[in-house]
Amino acid sequence: MTTLRAFTCDDLFRFNNINLDPLTETYGIPFYLQYLAHWPEYFIVAEAPGGELMGYIMGKAEGSVAREEWHGHVTALSVAPEFRRLGLAAKLMELLEEISEKKGGFFVDLFVRVSNQVAVNMYKQLGYSVYRTVLEYYSASSGEPDEDAYGKFVFSLKLNGTILMLRIPGLVCKTIIIFLAYETGSDSCRLMGFMYPPLDNFSYLRLYQL
Amino acid sequence: GEHRDYLDNGNNKMAIQQADKLLKKHKDLHCAKVLKAIGLQRTGKQDEAYALAQEVAALEPTDDNSLQALTILYREMHRPELVTKLYEAAVKKVPNSEEYHSHLFMAYARVGEYKKMQQAGMALYKIVPKNPYYFWSVMSLIMQSISAQDENLSKTMFLPLAERMVEKMVKEDKIEAEAEVELYYMILERLEKYKEALDVVRGKLGEKLTSELQSRENKCMAMYKKLHRWPECNALARRLLLKNSDDWQFYITYFDSVFQLIDESWTPPAEEEHSLEGEVHCSIEQAVNFIEERIAGESRSSRPLRGPFLAKLELIRRLRHRGCNDEYKLGDPEELMFQYFKKFGDKPCCFTDLKVFVDLLPPSQYTKFIQQLLDIIPLVAAAEDEVALPGDIKALQQHLCVVQLSRLLGIYHTMDKKQKLAVVRELMLRYRHGLEFGKSCLKTELQFSDYYCLLAVHLLLDLWLEGEEAAVWQCLTLLEEGLSHSPSNAQFKLLLIRIYCRLGAFEPVSELYSSLDAKHIQHDTIGYLLTRYASSLGHYAAASQSCNFALRFFHSNQKDTSEYIIQAYKYGAFEKIPEFIAFRNRLNSSLHFAQVRTERMLLDLLLENWEWAKRGLGEDISEEHRKLSLEEETLWLRIRSLTLRLVSGLPTLAHTIQPKNSEKTAENGVSSKIDTIRALLQQLEAAVDSGKKFLEQKIQYPVLGPPPTRMAGFFSNGSCQCQTSLFYLVSDIYELDTNGLGKSEIQERIGNSFKSLVERLTGNDLFNKCKGDLIEVRDGTLKTHPNLLENLVFFVETISIALWVSSYCDSVLRPFKSNLQKKKKKKKESSVAMPPVFTHFLDYVTELQTLTSNVIDHIKGLEIILTALKLEELSLKDTLLLQVRDSLCKHRGPQEFLFGV
Repeated sequence: MTTLRAFTCDDLFRFNNINLDPLTETYGIPFYLQYLAHWPEYFIVAEAPGGELMGYIMGKAEGSVAREEWHGHVTALSVAPEFRRLGLAAKLMELLEEISEKKGGFFVDLFVRVSNQVAVNMYKQLGYSVYRTVLEYYSASSGEPDEDAYGKFVFSLKLNGTILMLRIPGLVCKTIIIFLAYETGSDSCRLMGFMYPPLDNFSYLRLYQL
Repeated sequence: GEHRDYLDNGNNKMAIQQADKLLKKHKDLHCAKVLKAIGLQRTGKQDEAYALAQEVAALEPTDDNSLQALTILYREMHRPELVTKLYEAAVKKVPNSEEYHSHLFMAYARVGEYKKMQQAGMALYKIVPKNPYYFWSVMSLIMQSISAQDENLSKTMFLPLAERMVEKMVKEDKIEAEAEVELYYMILERLEKYKEALDVVRGKLGEKLTSELQSRENKCMAMYKKLHRWPECNALARRLLLKNSDDWQFYITYFDSVFQLIDESWTPPAEEEHSLEGEVHCSIEQAVNFIEERIAGESRSSRPLRGPFLAKLELIRRLRHRGCNDEYKLGDPEELMFQYFKKFGDKPCCFTDLKVFVDLLPPSQYTKFIQQLLDIIPLVAAAEDEVALPGDIKALQQHLCVVQLSRLLGIYHTMDKKQKLAVVRELMLRYRHGLEFGKSCLKTELQFSDYYCLLAVHLLLDLWLEGEEAAVWQCLTLLEEGLSHSPSNAQFKLLLIRIYCRLGAFEPVSELYSSLDAKHIQHDTIGYLLTRYASSLGHYAAASQSCNFALRFFHSNQKDTSEYIIQAYKYGAFEKIPEFIAFRNRLNSSLHFAQVRTERMLLDLLLENWEWAKRGLGEDISEEHRKLSLEEETLWLRIRSLTLRLVSGLPTLAHTIQPKNSEKTAENGVSSKIDTIRALLQQLEAAVDSGKKFLEQKIQYPVLGPPPTRMAGFFSNGSCQCQTSLFYLVSDIYELDTNGLGKSEIQERIGNSFKSLVERLTGNDLFNKCKGDLIEVRDGTLKTHPNLLENLVFFVETISIALWVSSYCDSVLRPFKSNLQKKKKKKKESSVAMPPVFTHFLDYVTELQTLTSNVIDHIKGLEIILTALKLEELSLKDTLLLQVRDSLCKHRGPQEFLFGV
């Protein structure tokens, strides 16, 4: 018994019961607005009949739009304590995957803290597999790495190769550059090249028609 | 080049040096000048930076580097309007530049110049006929309509124009993107052309609406509702429920529409389809059957959804409201809720679900209902006279649900003190027992049994409010114990914060609050808990800091949102643009923002003088309390901001040598400073009156409800009276200043003011209300007196104001006195009598001095007591430890427990 709808700015005033959780990050306003401006359809909230917010998922499309190679990325997924064990997170993931698929995303990926065992197990159950441990992804603002994070990928049917994820040594934290290569056949391996934050080199025109 | 790197790395000095070097070689290198200006701006030389930037801007540059650098600079100067000037000049010189035109559009967007945006969008489209540019222009028309003061103008001019612009593109078959269709829909909706909007969504253009989930269906539904097309509403809701029988919003629409159709005596057409959306249900029988079918469907599932079961309860409620439940044999709500509990009682949300429907239970059945639920939970007692405990997590969860329902239904409310304490003991026993199931829980997870502890605490809080002093101390012990097992439980922390604050103990609050890791928007939604108490309990540094955090957040909001409004244009997220603007306005008009701003300024003034600057967790706040609290907070804010303005107006009155004449200033038509002060004083009196009237209602917010303001204390401890008298004194002194010493009645009035102020400050009123023990032990129970601290803080504030006013008095009286003394010397007469006002003032100042040193002694005394308490703390900790340890289950060794604490 849930109402699923698009997340709006006003929900930011009401999401404390979800966000006052040590593993859920409360981001700055610009971060949320960026997602709402750019990928509003990837930001979904679940509401209970009493009006309480139950949980939300926030994601985006990333990759190279110019080469028509992109995928869905889950940035945040969180469910309030009293609405856990209802399969809500799985439902929200399913919705995001559906949207990503509809938009022609090759796969959905996400990062999760190594320490967040509950989430790691859930994603595994949903068919995600640990691809590679990304060192120092969740860096504190001071620049000190606090722990490792896993990168996880689910392969859509369109892709039947392997995904390689490399970390370029020496680059830390927010501007981590990860080059993602995948094999479409047996011979070649192409670079997709995405960055955090993603390179903003695609024209708004193309993106807006995505 | 190099200097840009320096800027990027934050090495502003080097950047300036590099720019200077370059400028020596190439005197007119614009870009280098701007980069130097950025360096200057960042090193705090705003004026130089501005002058240098204007030098370049005056030349109307058209090179990318200068334009970009100037844009950065103006943004850092918070002067976005200058960017528009910059690009206005650039497009004049290079009229065919797509890039500069689009920069100009965005510059207008940043400052909200909607009319100019509309023109800039069209200019762009003329240069490069790309659809987005055209629709930027259309969106700017919508924004003009939203911001128009005159609703008529928006409905008859802006929106129809926007509609025509889109229609033109539709006719020419030029619509390309989903965003454009969304925009079209937005326009029609705002024009209340719902039929047309529906046609767009259902038509060819609507096929583009694919991004959002059920985007077309949702938009159709919204339009059906607006058009009161209940058959379509019903059929669509029905269809969506067949697809997902858990989506609550569609049950609501389904029921709404069924009853609307019944009331309209709607009957389906004999031949054609029922509606555009297919089959329609228009009778109670059909609705009942539909819900029963959904339930039957779920009953076969291995993981049944909750929706259909709760929908049945919702249907019963609606039938009852219509007075016709019995006919339809949906079942007894009590039995249905019991069945629901059987199915879903082990889910933590079972309580939240049933909470919505408890009004269906007759109060006479509460106890029976609770007992019925209890009876089916598998609980096992180790011995006959011991509490029966759950054997697994599921049973624990079920039991917790019942306990929460018991509290909701008021079962504990009617108990006497002894019974309540017995329940508390039982709950804590269950809590500690339940910890067994959570042994493998990580420290980031909650313990399964946390709610037992919370409920025990709530019961104790009830007892405390009924006058049981010891209960509150037990609350703290239990919550601290709970927190040691479940260190990330935010409910524990928030409750602890509220209780510590009410007891007047702010020190533990800072740490608890910082462990909540509240940031950004939470400075608004939770931060008020901190700012309300920090300064009133005398923690000025913490108050300053928390105000600063909040202010930094609020101030960055303006800049941040503008940036994303622009992005929304870029990405065609048009419907988000009004949403972002509304969000920005909501934050800007936050009551908390206004309060923090005022308190911060008052704090700054006070600290300088001494030379040392909505919400809702846990229990629900009723609408009534929310409204009252808003009213109270607003009244209090008004009083505080008037006080602030009065205090900050004092220096403007400073005595000048020439005798002033109030008539003279009035002649010029400009109201004089004193008139402003007097007007403010009148407003303050009015605000205080409204505040007093408000407090006559004697509202008691629930413990976890909104914290009451400091208003009650401000009135009752006499600070309010003293502060107003002080401001009146200012007005009198001013009169003395302008009219000279001639009028004896003014002198008399001033003399009386001095006397009564001294009496109030030192006598029975203010100071005495600060005296006493902060912590008192009576009959073996501890009691804190946080109001003493609050009073002391108000007292210190009042003294500060008294000192400011005295220095103003001094500045007025001193010249009079020296004049008189000169006269005295000249005339060599001893008979020139000193006017009484001097003596009064002297006495007053002497009294103030004595008082101030007494206050300082008093504060020192308090510090000594607190230090003594700290010394006692060691032994106190031991007793607490023992008390807690005794009640712990035996599995935990003391060693382990020590770390927990």
